[in-house]
Amino acid sequence: MGAGRFNRAVGLVILAVAGGAAALLWFAVAAGDRPTSGTPSEGIVFGVWDVVYDTEAPAPRIAVAAIALALLFAAGVASLERRIVRRSHRTTDAGQAPLAPQLVMASTAGVYAGPVTVTVLIPAHNEEASLGATITSLSSQSHRPERVIVVADNCTDTTVEIAHRHGVEVIESVDNTHKKAGALNQAMSQVLPGLGDNDVLMVMDADTSLDQGFLAVAVARLTDDRALMAVGGLFYGDESAGMLAQFQRNEYIRYGREIRRRRGLVFVLTGTASLFRPRALRTIAESRGLSIPGKNGDVYDTASLTEDNELTIALKSLGGLMISPSQCTVVTELMPTWRMLWAQRLRWQRGALENLGAYGMTPQTFRYWAQQLGIGYGVIALGAYFALFTVMTFAQDSWIWFPFWVGLGLVFVVERVVTVWKGGWTARLLGATLFPELFFAAFLNVVYVKGIFDIALGRRATWNHVVHTLPPQPVRRAG
Amino acid sequence: MMANAAALPAGVLLPESILHSDGFAILATFVAINTLMYVALAFAKILPKAYASDWIHRTRRRSETRSIHPDA
Repeated sequence: MGAGRFNRAVGLVILAVAGGAAALLWFAVAAGDRPTSGTPSEGIVFGVWDVVYDTEAPAPRIAVAAIALALLFAAGVASLERRIVRRSHRTTDAGQAPLAPQLVMASTAGVYAGPVTVTVLIPAHNEEASLGATITSLSSQSHRPERVIVVADNCTDTTVEIAHRHGVEVIESVDNTHKKAGALNQAMSQVLPGLGDNDVLMVMDADTSLDQGFLAVAVARLTDDRALMAVGGLFYGDESAGMLAQFQRNEYIRYGREIRRRRGLVFVLTGTASLFRPRALRTIAESRGLSIPGKNGDVYDTASLTEDNELTIALKSLGGLMISPSQCTVVTELMPTWRMLWAQRLRWQRGALENLGAYGMTPQTFRYWAQQLGIGYGVIALGAYFALFTVMTFAQDSWIWFPFWVGLGLVFVVERVVTVWKGGWTARLLGATLFPELFFAAFLNVVYVKGIFDIALGRRATWNHVVHTLPPQPVRRAG
Repeated sequence: MMANAAALPAGVLLPESILHSDGFAILATFVAINTLMYVALAFAKILPKAYASDWIHRTRRRSETRSIHPDA
């Protein structure tokens, strides 16, 4: 690597591009003709409600241009991404894409490496509270995994005992200072050498439970296509109570819906539960320090704060085929407090930016850059919206309704409800109220901006971890 | 929120003239254009996603099996 790397500059690049786009629009608006505001009218609604309203609406020419621009952008990004994926699936360049389907097919043609088996690695750092449920969700699968290994990393609680009690293997990390990625690397160096082409490794978080049928579908996919290098899970939130939990559930439901609409096209092979063929992991380890970032020989890049996102980009960069089938769903833990959510999202954001910085602008990272720029522009747009709202609220002598904009607002309401429909009435109700979710979006935007500034200023980033403890065991009375 | 806004005394925090300033007009138009863009995206998210490949009829037959079973 080396050429094409951005590292810290990634923050500045995103700031410049997203800010530049907004500035361009601002200056175009300033240079053009603006509609002069008419005098608001007064009317009576339902015979009792005296309202002041303004029929102002943008010129049709501007409205059509704005709508066309947005749709063109969205369609452009989507079609470019598909084109890149198609091209990478057809490549036969072993130097650049050693995991390209055609190459894998050629090297495994006519060879039967046995049925697909699943070995699960569960990295766990003090996960006594949730580990039991995680293991149970594996053993109750219609297709049970052949091996389950808990990778206990610097545990000071009863994680190891719980693993033993459930009859699964345990690998304890030794002198590991690289968190989850370091622990997984140690475990993989022990497990990987003994695995054949179809003995897939699944990495699964200890706070996650598989939905029924996950493994059966994943194994079927890996059986039908020997060029398939990874199968990713789709996660949704657990049933924690409270508004904050519902915000996160809605967000995950929308993410899952988006992946289904992408027809399984992977965005991130989630660390919550994803399966990999040994060939993929070995090739990644061999390529690190050469064609992809990281230390040669390591499966996971220990410098990355978001090791699952990094591994996905690594695999894509090497031409590996991957999919997120809609049936492979998992339930994962939600952040219980705003403070925890802040830390989690800051880590995700920081990790995503660092990964982009490490890989630079390549066809495989195009979609991730587009996402960062999209959010960046969204931050500016939402900020401007709040600014306008604030000025109007504090400078108007009476509230003026704008029927045109209220009408458009209804489209947002419908979108918010339709996209979380699967989440039931609570999810839909929260979506329909619009403003709470708008403030949640604003919260995530603040995290995003902090992430951008932190990386641009070279501040150190840290991990966060939800500490769980088991409730005290009730003393059982004899008799 | 809207009821509160209506109940606030007129122009206490900001002079009403700000609403007729050039800067405010630019901000309003900027927000208006962005809102329209996001409405278009929201509308696209409500509708089912269309794929051009669905309309182009192509018989997809692999030249060889991709299964792990060589004789499949």
